[in-house]
Amino acid sequence: MSLEKKDEHDHRGWMEERDLTVLEERYLTLLMWLDKRLRLVDYLELLEDLYYKVNMQMPKSHTEQYGLDNKFWYWYPLYALGSFSTIAYLVAAISGALLGFYYAPAAASSSGDPTVAFESLRYIMQDLNFGYMLRSIHRWSAQVMTAAVFLHMLRVYFTGAYKEPRELNWIIGIVLISMTMVFGYSGYLLPWNQLSYWAGQIGVEMALSIPLAGEWTAQLLFGGFTLTQATLQRMYILHVFFLPFLVTGLIAVHIGIVWMQGIAEPH
Amino acid sequence: MSDNDTPETETDGGTGIVPPDDETPTWSERKERTQGLSRLTYEYFERARREDQDLRQESSYVERDVLGFPAWPHEMIRNLALTSFFVGMIVFLSATLPPEMMPPANSSSTPAVILPDWYLYWSFGLLKLGPLNPDLALLGGKSLMADRTYGVLANLVVVGAITIVPFLNKGAARRPVEQPFWASVGVFGVIFAFTVAVLSVKNLVPMDSHLLFDLTFLLPFVGGFIAYAILKSMREGYMFTLNRRYYRLRPPK
Ligand code: HEM
Repeated sequence: MSLEKKDEHDHRGWMEERDLTVLEERYLTLLMWLDKRLRLVDYLELLEDLYYKVNMQMPKSHTEQYGLDNKFWYWYPLYALGSFSTIAYLVAAISGALLGFYYAPAAASSSGDPTVAFESLRYIMQDLNFGYMLRSIHRWSAQVMTAAVFLHMLRVYFTGAYKEPRELNWIIGIVLISMTMVFGYSGYLLPWNQLSYWAGQIGVEMALSIPLAGEWTAQLLFGGFTLTQATLQRMYILHVFFLPFLVTGLIAVHIGIVWMQGIAEPH
Repeated sequence: MSDNDTPETETDGGTGIVPPDDETPTWSERKERTQGLSRLTYEYFERARREDQDLRQESSYVERDVLGFPAWPHEMIRNLALTSFFVGMIVFLSATLPPEMMPPANSSSTPAVILPDWYLYWSFGLLKLGPLNPDLALLGGKSLMADRTYGVLANLVVVGAITIVPFLNKGAARRPVEQPFWASVGVFGVIFAFTVAVLSVKNLVPMDSHLLFDLTFLLPFVGGFIAYAILKSMREGYMFTLNRRYYRLRPPK
């Protein structure tokens, strides 16, 4: 090794003296080009730093720590329910996005004649190729997600996993389960059939019977005190715009917290 | 950390972004200059870091005290296996049991049964607790609120009660056998969710509605007591082995 200090920053020279395949060379060239302009290394370093910090929180596995290789906590399969809610949510999101191509939220009447919304459902169910399958998958994944979320909450309750330091995640969970149910409710109104209509009726009455803020809530959520086009439109926007953003964001935070804290151990 | 003892190298890579020189404040200098809330934040972080450090050095364990076990890969591998099975189940159900087409909305014909989806039955049932709405003698036997208002408030009370559970039940106990009381509260809640759901469809249940109403509240208590009795009697044996293992690993201070 020569005593003379090499130029550490002659990246081209460094690249040429190595025996690189074409692919590697192209990749490095592109990387260097981007790095020179965007300082990618800095961000990489940040990420790496984060990664190790997160992992520093990660303790030995439960079995290692307690020497429990011969023991099985028979509730462990239920610990998959949270992931299962997430997966069912994703399935519902994808099938829902596809359904959105064919659905139109227009209900000018409630006279017993098919409305535009109702007609688009009929089209999906009867004319569209695999349309009934799409709607069916959307329905079932939503039902299954709700069931999984309820059961997930029970498993968290009965394994005492909500205790310090996980209180915040429990509260986020309550918000999530409530929003899941509002998701389901707003979706229930979209077909604008008899069931939707009368479930909507109950919703308006419930909103109206809230003390003090009743009329205001009914106006905000249902667009009035009776069910009209405005009701359907609001439910639609809730269902395909507000709730998806909120729920997706909160699920990310919820799981991020689990990631950082680790799963509670039932010592 | 100090950068002073490393030789100066050219770090701008031709970008014109100048590396810090002697005039540039270091991070700790910047920190000293900040005021107010950000200053407080820095100070707290330093304290917290020092506390962590102290605790870690003081601990006789090789690893840091276990707070939980890692989500990846321990948890996720199992979850992926189980969830892929259940996604298959969703697709199977969808293919075999597609939703039906209902008649279009008609405000002039009320259906015999009005129901939300099943997961809202409990909430729907809570709306029908009218008989429990106290009437005040002071108001001449009139209720303080309309029955519906009462029902909506009951919903809020239930959700609120679930929310504050972590602040009521503290301590290290996790398994139901370790905390029979809280486990039986849970059993009470689950059974109540079912009975109140049945109450919400009381016109479909072939049973006297007063009896149904009484059972709605009786059954959860019965279930809760049974759970309590069972867990309490299991506790002795469990606690012995649990304690032995626990205290061997975390001797009391
Ligand atoms: C959209 C709904 C939800 C999703 C997608 C979700 C997802 C998850 C996932 C993936 C985990 C990791 C551990 C596991 O799978 O069991 C988790 C943990 C947790 N969840 Fe949820 N969850 C939801 C709703 C809830 C609800 C309703 C509650 C309670 C009220 C809750 C409270 C918690 C708590 C406290 C943990 C930490 C448990 C532990 O560390 O063992 N979550 N959640």
